[in-house]
Amino acid sequence: MEIIKKNITLVLGISIPILMILFVAGSIYLPGLFIKPHFNFLYASGDDSYYYYNNGYQYSVQNDKLIKNELKQPENPNYTPPRVEPKLYLYDVVKNESKEIAFADAQNLNLDSNTKSPDDFEVVYGSRGDGFFPFFWGGGTDYNARYLKGHNVSKKLNLQLNGGSYYNNFRFIGWIK
Amino acid sequence: MATKEEVLQYIKTLGEQKIVTKDELDLAFDSGSGIKTDVVLTKKLGISEILYYIGGAIVFLGIAILLAQNWSTLGFGTKVLATLGAGVAAYFVGVLFSRDERTETAGSAFYLISALVIPMGLYVIFDNAGFDASSYGSQSLISGILFGMYMLSYVVFRKNVFTLFSILFGTWLFFSLTSFMVGGGPYFDDWKFYEYRVLVAGITYMLIGYAFSKNERASLSNFLYGFGILGFLGSALALGGWEPNQNVFWELIYPGLIFGALFLSVHIKSKSFLT
Repeated sequence: MEIIKKNITLVLGISIPILMILFVAGSIYLPGLFIKPHFNFLYASGDDSYYYYNNGYQYSVQNDKLIKNELKQPENPNYTPPRVEPKLYLYDVVKNESKEIAFADAQNLNLDSNTKSPDDFEVVYGSRGDGFFPFFWGGGTDYNARYLKGHNVSKKLNLQLNGGSYYNNFRFIGWIK
Repeated sequence: MATKEEVLQYIKTLGEQKIVTKDELDLAFDSGSGIKTDVVLTKKLGISEILYYIGGAIVFLGIAILLAQNWSTLGFGTKVLATLGAGVAAYFVGVLFSRDERTETAGSAFYLISALVIPMGLYVIFDNAGFDASSYGSQSLISGILFGMYMLSYVVFRKNVFTLFSILFGTWLFFSLTSFMVGGGPYFDDWKFYEYRVLVAGITYMLIGYAFSKNERASLSNFLYGFGILGFLGSALALGGWEPNQNVFWELIYPGLIFGALFLSVHIKSKSFLT
């Protein structure tokens, strides 16, 4: 106790970064213990008409139901994008996993196409940090990682994708009511 | 031979008459009880000492360039020998040189080589073990190992140079560990998080500098004050933001912080706060 009293500034100096580490750990892990998302969501992968030739359709929500929209892609003999069948996936937020679902089954779901769920969660991209000490830069958006974010909680999504994990290869369709 | 009570009574009398101070008694007790005191390295840097350190830095650059140019052709053993081997060898040469007062400064130059080269050696090992050595997780481990190593060296050898390396590797550990914890998660705004961490590191440097100013490590105080105030005021300014996204709190408090720094420089009698 005497040593601490004698070196109070040193103890204070060392404690501040340790407290910040604890604060960061607490603010990342603690809210997740108490606040949990409740709404599963539906998403499509492989229906990016700019990158894939996807049999000419894309999914959307109309009157809370999933519909298939016809797309007219311009004919261009010099542009032959890869042919990919768009797939639908249902994401289970409790199990943190996605499973493929057929269009006919997905049509029976009641969907909310708002970006925010009724319990105030949304799907966002991660961020990318870079560098070595002392240069740690916030490197912008990480298009390979997506998170469920809301109420100061972020949970990394374990998404199945139809093809590579690039910017447009995930399209959120709606929350399942 | 006087009894213990007599000695204590005599000390009490001397204390009352202000003939001896508490620090003098502590020093006398420490020298008698075998407690090691810190080795003072407050000698002014001469041209030969500066050349020692420049030489150390050139050795580091030589190894780094050799490795970078021949990364794909050199085998794992050669890479480890050139980096970790050289670093550990430099560390032990430093230990040997530090035992003699005449070669002590050259010893510090060897410690500098070891502090620059051993991280490269650990990087090589992590890379070969299949880890992404530039990831924050690996950086946390590398900086943690180095921080532990130099703290332990400080405890054993009581040299200021190890205090400096412990502070530097501790700072690296703080930044990489917090970055590792956040990962890619969108918990905080990246830039704001970086600014707050620099702010905390700045405050820590200043407090440690103040603690050192009263003991054998006073030579490190100015360095810590200088970088501490730079980090603190720089990040406070950045936290204020720029139009149209100003932060009113930091913008209002910033002039107060500047005057606080001016006042502190007078109070602790340090010009480093004004740099």
